[in-house]
Amino acid sequence: MIWRFVAKHMAKVVLLGTLVGVSIYVCVFLLAKGMYIPAAMPLIGAGLISYIFLSEKRYPLRWLVPGLLFLTVMVVYPIGYTFVSSFTNVGTGHMLGKEQALDQLLDRSYAPENAITYSFLAFANPAGDIALVLEGEGERILYTQGTASAIAVDDPRLVDEDGDGRPERFSNYARLSIPQLVPRLSDLEAYRIEYDNKIIGLQDLNEFRTRTPLYVYDAEAETMTDQQTGVVYAAMEGIFTSADGVEIYPGYKVSVGIRNYLALIRNPQISGPFAMVFGWTFAFATLTVLLNFALGLSTAILLNDPFLRFRTLYRVLMIIPYALPAFIMILVWRGMLNQHFGIINKMLVSAAHMIDYAVNYVAVNVFHTTAVLFGDVTKIPWLSNGMLAKASLLLLNLWLGYPYMMLICLGALQSIPASLYEAARVDGASWWQQFWKITLPLLLMPLAPLLIGAFAFNFNNFTLIWLLTEGRPAIAGATTPAGQTDILISYTYRLAFEGARGNQLGLAAAVSVMIFVVIATISAINFRLTGALEELSKNV
Amino acid sequence: MKRVTLALLGLLLIIGLAVTASEAGKLLIWADDTRTPIMLKVAEDFTAIYGVEVIVQEVDFGGIRGQLATAGPAGEGPDILIGAHDWLGELILNGLIEPIILTPAIVADFNPVAIDAFSWGNLLYGVPYATENVALVRNTDLVPEVPATFEELLTVAAALTDLEAGKYGFLIQEPDPFHTFALHTAGGGYIFGKDADGVLNPCDLGLDNEGSIAGAILLDQMVKDGIEIAGAGYNEVTGAFNAGDLGMMIGGPWTLPGAKAGGINYAVSAIPTINGNAPGVFVGVQGFMISAFSDNKVLANLFIKDFLISSDVMLGLYIEGDRPPAYLPALAFLAGNEDIQGFAAAAATAVPMPKIAEMGSVWSAWSAALELIVNQTQDPTTAMQDAAAEIRALLGCE
Repeated sequence: MIWRFVAKHMAKVVLLGTLVGVSIYVCVFLLAKGMYIPAAMPLIGAGLISYIFLSEKRYPLRWLVPGLLFLTVMVVYPIGYTFVSSFTNVGTGHMLGKEQALDQLLDRSYAPENAITYSFLAFANPAGDIALVLEGEGERILYTQGTASAIAVDDPRLVDEDGDGRPERFSNYARLSIPQLVPRLSDLEAYRIEYDNKIIGLQDLNEFRTRTPLYVYDAEAETMTDQQTGVVYAAMEGIFTSADGVEIYPGYKVSVGIRNYLALIRNPQISGPFAMVFGWTFAFATLTVLLNFALGLSTAILLNDPFLRFRTLYRVLMIIPYALPAFIMILVWRGMLNQHFGIINKMLVSAAHMIDYAVNYVAVNVFHTTAVLFGDVTKIPWLSNGMLAKASLLLLNLWLGYPYMMLICLGALQSIPASLYEAARVDGASWWQQFWKITLPLLLMPLAPLLIGAFAFNFNNFTLIWLLTEGRPAIAGATTPAGQTDILISYTYRLAFEGARGNQLGLAAAVSVMIFVVIATISAINFRLTGALEELSKNV
Repeated sequence: MKRVTLALLGLLLIIGLAVTASEAGKLLIWADDTRTPIMLKVAEDFTAIYGVEVIVQEVDFGGIRGQLATAGPAGEGPDILIGAHDWLGELILNGLIEPIILTPAIVADFNPVAIDAFSWGNLLYGVPYATENVALVRNTDLVPEVPATFEELLTVAAALTDLEAGKYGFLIQEPDPFHTFALHTAGGGYIFGKDADGVLNPCDLGLDNEGSIAGAILLDQMVKDGIEIAGAGYNEVTGAFNAGDLGMMIGGPWTLPGAKAGGINYAVSAIPTINGNAPGVFVGVQGFMISAFSDNKVLANLFIKDFLISSDVMLGLYIEGDRPPAYLPALAFLAGNEDIQGFAAAAATAVPMPKIAEMGSVWSAWSAALELIVNQTQDPTTAMQDAAAEIRALLGCE
């Protein structure tokens, strides 16, 4: 009895100990990279978990915390990050933080007239410490243990055994040959030797050189002064810009307030097609859910009929589109729908020929029947005509998506008590009446959240759009890179990554936040409406 | 489920990158699958001589640019990366790459166009290893003689074309400005003009000038004549060529392995003159660059200058990648190679693909214009004018 109790708690202590250990390791790892806020996360998380699992009062939380933690890391953090980014100008030219951009700019140097080049000898002691002797323009500098000092040619610590003028040893340090030196180059590269008001840095395998910083930064005025030309660059929205508009790169991220959001409303370049794209996005998501649900439900009702033969076979066949990877299948369909090279149009040509031949056989001298009746079926522009491209998208999405709806409907159909139907039949209800009054309401109640989920997913179904049409065909006379089948998310992608000048991540983040708000609102309304369904189910 | 998978993949990527982050005293190289084997060999030599560990990490070529933007500043990027010269604008604006200093003697060993392509102002940001441009690639069984003019080419193409039977005379992959550029340039079209100081001026846009529109009208006529067809993307055009169903195409060195595998007898030549004018093509240049966030810049320079700049390595890269070497001593070895001569002939009037970050807007608007023309949705003049107006507005050049 007692040893079981101990064993149980031992396991808890060991697991929690491991968790804390790992989180401390991760924390140190992140601290070493200078990521202070992410470093705090594992510690806070591990602390919370330990507290919850050790405190008897917090017992119920034990079941919730793992899920909540993952929710924070995988959902809340990215949303928060997107939200914060939407108020900055992050994007091409403004990718770095201010610190990083300043570091890079202040590390730039130039070679003034009086730059001095030093040849050098590197020595290492058995412990691996480095000593350098630099020689240039009559100066001889010894650099060891982080300090530089002058050293005479005949310094007794320098031992030149073979008398070639290149000492082999410096006290207990031995000279490094080239193959020995190369692995240490990156250590040497990090040195900034300060000597006699000069800063000396490694130039290449053979020499050190005085480094004169190209820019001097005035933190008060936020200006960079170019030492070579004397031009002053002032910080302007995250980039140092001279009075006549010359910019020095890289720039850095700064807050731009709500400018990204204002651009969506005010800039006609961006807001122009927004309403059209929004309309199609909404139609695409709604129609997809409706069509997929209608077909899924119909097939489910058929397959649910116990008198149907080969039910299992049909089920397997119908699940195939769902079981195949959508990513590949979209590309396959794209090839099949190609106007000239696709198999679908080629099959239509064959079919048209067969019909023409048959008609001609029956009624002699009647040619081109299909062409007369249906026009030229041989070159249907599935993906290059706006309406057809939209139809293709909906049909392909139906093909990909209805098995999922069928599966969940099959499950939900089982849960409707057979007694309800018996009662309905006794009351003389027709099949349609049973469907509308019993099946549909009772199905919608458990399935509504899934349908809302499907709506939200298709609202952002970037994969399908991008792989099948890339948002094309183009809109004639458009003022932005929007296509006829672009949904909001693919339009955002175009704006952000093909828009004007490289990537505009801040703007993309702003649109993402807007999409988030739209979907959240629609979902909230839907949940409210399905709440009404639950009311209904209570009355059944 | 998809999101979970994506999140897991992302996590794995981050872990993978973290494990092989750049460290002082160790070189990390990002190369694509084609170049990785060569880089591994060079890395082995380097390690054997200097005992410095060199890790070659395989990254998808197109992904290198984007991943560098996040991995570099986080201290997890490579020391050396391979890439295309037209990334330069974005990489430099974002402070991701470092200038490389080569002596004039070494610079003279490179194709001047390639050096020009990797230069930004008066600094060199990459060591080029290959140039690539499109040319006329023809099936010599179907088209034995090089057409002397573009007009003759179209006549030959029309005779070969039978859409019902799936036979094509001449295809340009569409909508793709990179491949259509030749049509526009013959009459004097260009993308960005240069300022007096030789820097590209994004507001001097030549996409709707007379020559560019003439090229668009020519494309439109090709569609009307049933030579060029909608839906002819890269896979469709090369697929038809490799199956022997296509007489001629505009294609780059990357199309040749497929043609060889398909057993097609092909020849590469310059794109014939249009109205007597030689059409220009884009030259893309690939090269080695050094990350601005590397702690091993001297070591990386040493690796590039002493180990990568050699005929052996450059020829090895040619054999794997099929692109003509930018390193002239290596190119000299290939003087008798007819493919390379053909691409070189087409490159005689070539211009480096613009590398300024503003190109993003150009590609998308121009593609849309070509698409509207090929789909016969809009007349070519309006399509090009609309595209140019869209780009000017996006770049704030009204």
